Amino acid sequence: MFLGDFHIHSKFSDGKLSIPEIVDLYGESGFGAIAITDHLCEDRSLIGRAARLLNQTLTPATFPLYQNILRSEAKRAWERYRMVLIPGVELTQNTVNNSRSAHVLGLGVSEYIGAEADVKDLARAIRAQGALAVAAHPVNTQQREKQTYHLWDRREELRSEFDAWEVASGIHLFPEVLRSDLPRIANSDLHHPKQFRSWKTGFTCEKHPGAILDAIRKQEITFHFFEGREQNGNHYSNDPSFVGRLF
Amino acid sequence: MGIITVTILLLWVVSFSIHLYGVYKTQAHFEEQPVAPDTPFRLIPVTILKPLKGVDEGLSENLKSFFNLDYPEYELIFSVANEFDPATRVIRGLISEHPHVRSRLIVGELNIGKNPKVNNLIRGYESARYDWVLISDSNVRVGPRYLKNLVSQINTDTGMITSVVLGTESSGIGGGLEQLHLNTFYAKAMVLASSVGRDCVVGKSMLFHKSSADRFGGLRALGGFLAEDYMAGEAMKQLGLKVSTAWDTVPQFIGEYSLKEFLQRHIRWGRIRKAQSPIAFFSEVFSFSALPGLFLAIGLSTLVAISPLFIFLIHSGVWLLLDLFVMRSIKAKMELRSVLFWLLRESLIVPLWLFTASGSSVSWRGERYTLKLGGILVPQKV
Repeated sequence: MFLGDFHIHSKFSDGKLSIPEIVDLYGESGFGAIAITDHLCEDRSLIGRAARLLNQTLTPATFPLYQNILRSEAKRAWERYRMVLIPGVELTQNTVNNSRSAHVLGLGVSEYIGAEADVKDLARAIRAQGALAVAAHPVNTQQREKQTYHLWDRREELRSEFDAWEVASGIHLFPEVLRSDLPRIANSDLHHPKQFRSWKTGFTCEKHPGAILDAIRKQEITFHFFEGREQNGNHYSNDPSFVGRLF
Repeated sequence: MGIITVTILLLWVVSFSIHLYGVYKTQAHFEEQPVAPDTPFRLIPVTILKPLKGVDEGLSENLKSFFNLDYPEYELIFSVANEFDPATRVIRGLISEHPHVRSRLIVGELNIGKNPKVNNLIRGYESARYDWVLISDSNVRVGPRYLKNLVSQINTDTGMITSVVLGTESSGIGGGLEQLHLNTFYAKAMVLASSVGRDCVVGKSMLFHKSSADRFGGLRALGGFLAEDYMAGEAMKQLGLKVSTAWDTVPQFIGEYSLKEFLQRHIRWGRIRKAQSPIAFFSEVFSFSALPGLFLAIGLSTLVAISPLFIFLIHSGVWLLLDLFVMRSIKAKMELRSVLFWLLRESLIVPLWLFTASGSSVSWRGERYTLKLGGILVPQKV
């Protein structure tokens, strides 16, 4: 079994670590797979424009450099740590209204996608690249931060458009997602190394990008709480009966 | 004291403090000289790339200075877009005059993006013999120890080393303004940026590790940017590598420049800065004496019975002395005309800044582009 984390931010958006520093942090801790998913904000709203003004988002100009660095670091991650690095983005729609705000992760995305379209079209554009569309922190994250409820409010309509919904972000599990019958994934949403201690996703598949994405699609995964450099035994199965015992 | 008075006085305090801090940091930065830059094992081989287009005043002497470097192992690669470029004759002459220096000329560009400098450089870059590469503009004229000093500043975490440009040998109104602007505003701004860990790379002189650059796609990945130098530095930072500003300057031979050329150049580069780093651009206008002087004059004259004009003039005088101190720190030539060009620059700067801020179009080699936030370049429809 190996652990994976598929929601990580670098200095290309609002993260504190560079991509090589992230690779070393996870590689030295024995992770088998990660995805770096920097914000790619829409540029219609005031918040989206502010993100561009403050260099807190990927842009069409920086996206090719981002992809090049991800490619070269994927090679290094594999050669040095036997860790798979999957290129990703977090398509970000932020408005003052939480119910109109949505973050969509694209795992395996290699071509630029503008974040301005409806979330359904964003998910389809992601999947058209053979990548996975994941609903990021769709419910209350129990933290003082921007909340994004738009995807959860439309969950029935979007059910078939998304490959997974985050059941945990950082140290918090989301009971609503856990109780639902939606496909799930657990990530850290890491911006700072202190957020390393968090929920992660476990795999038993082959360490290969295709196999890992396929395991998420088929939900052949488990959820684990990672304490830091040393992994403890605290984990949850993705089995619905286990979830029933939890709540 | 009204809220407006407090606000404008606070703005003045912030602007003046940053100016003072910049002057102090510039002095400190150029005092930091390493003890032994000659240590032989540190003098790694370097490929110097020289992109050229046409024969500007002083070109032969500028290039000759690179054949006379006191350095054990380096190669010089000159590149021009086509055989008809008059620079080819100058380069071939210099190569034959200096057979002891490993040097060659590459004729023909590759069209990989909108940036003509990158298109011109790419073949030389990809055929560089050594892993450390120095891109150096054709109007740079250096002393024999330039490369030695630069290389001695490489550390294990170095991604790129850039240099503050020292304007020299200018003539004409535009030339004088350019020299003054480089030796005051640009020098101070680069040191200030460096002091907060935001070193800003200028293409006049950028030394970097090619293998590291290849991790972000190398020079090819920068072909779509007008400011390839700035983006190269940003990409190095994204790799977790250090970008630093050298402790000595790189002299630029300015030559004859008209006022129109000066204005056009600074409108273009100002708009590029506005697109790439808008907050820095919008605060730039406070790095000159005019606006802070106006604020102080208005604010102070409401509190004490002194003529606002008198306050403004005294303030301008103090600011000028501090700018002259910056020039002294970078060992720029101090002349009476520096003061005259300083006065002219200060009178032009606010309208120039306003004009730059009001638009986002730039002309580049006969084509018009719109610059969008983040440095995105969109060709304008004819």
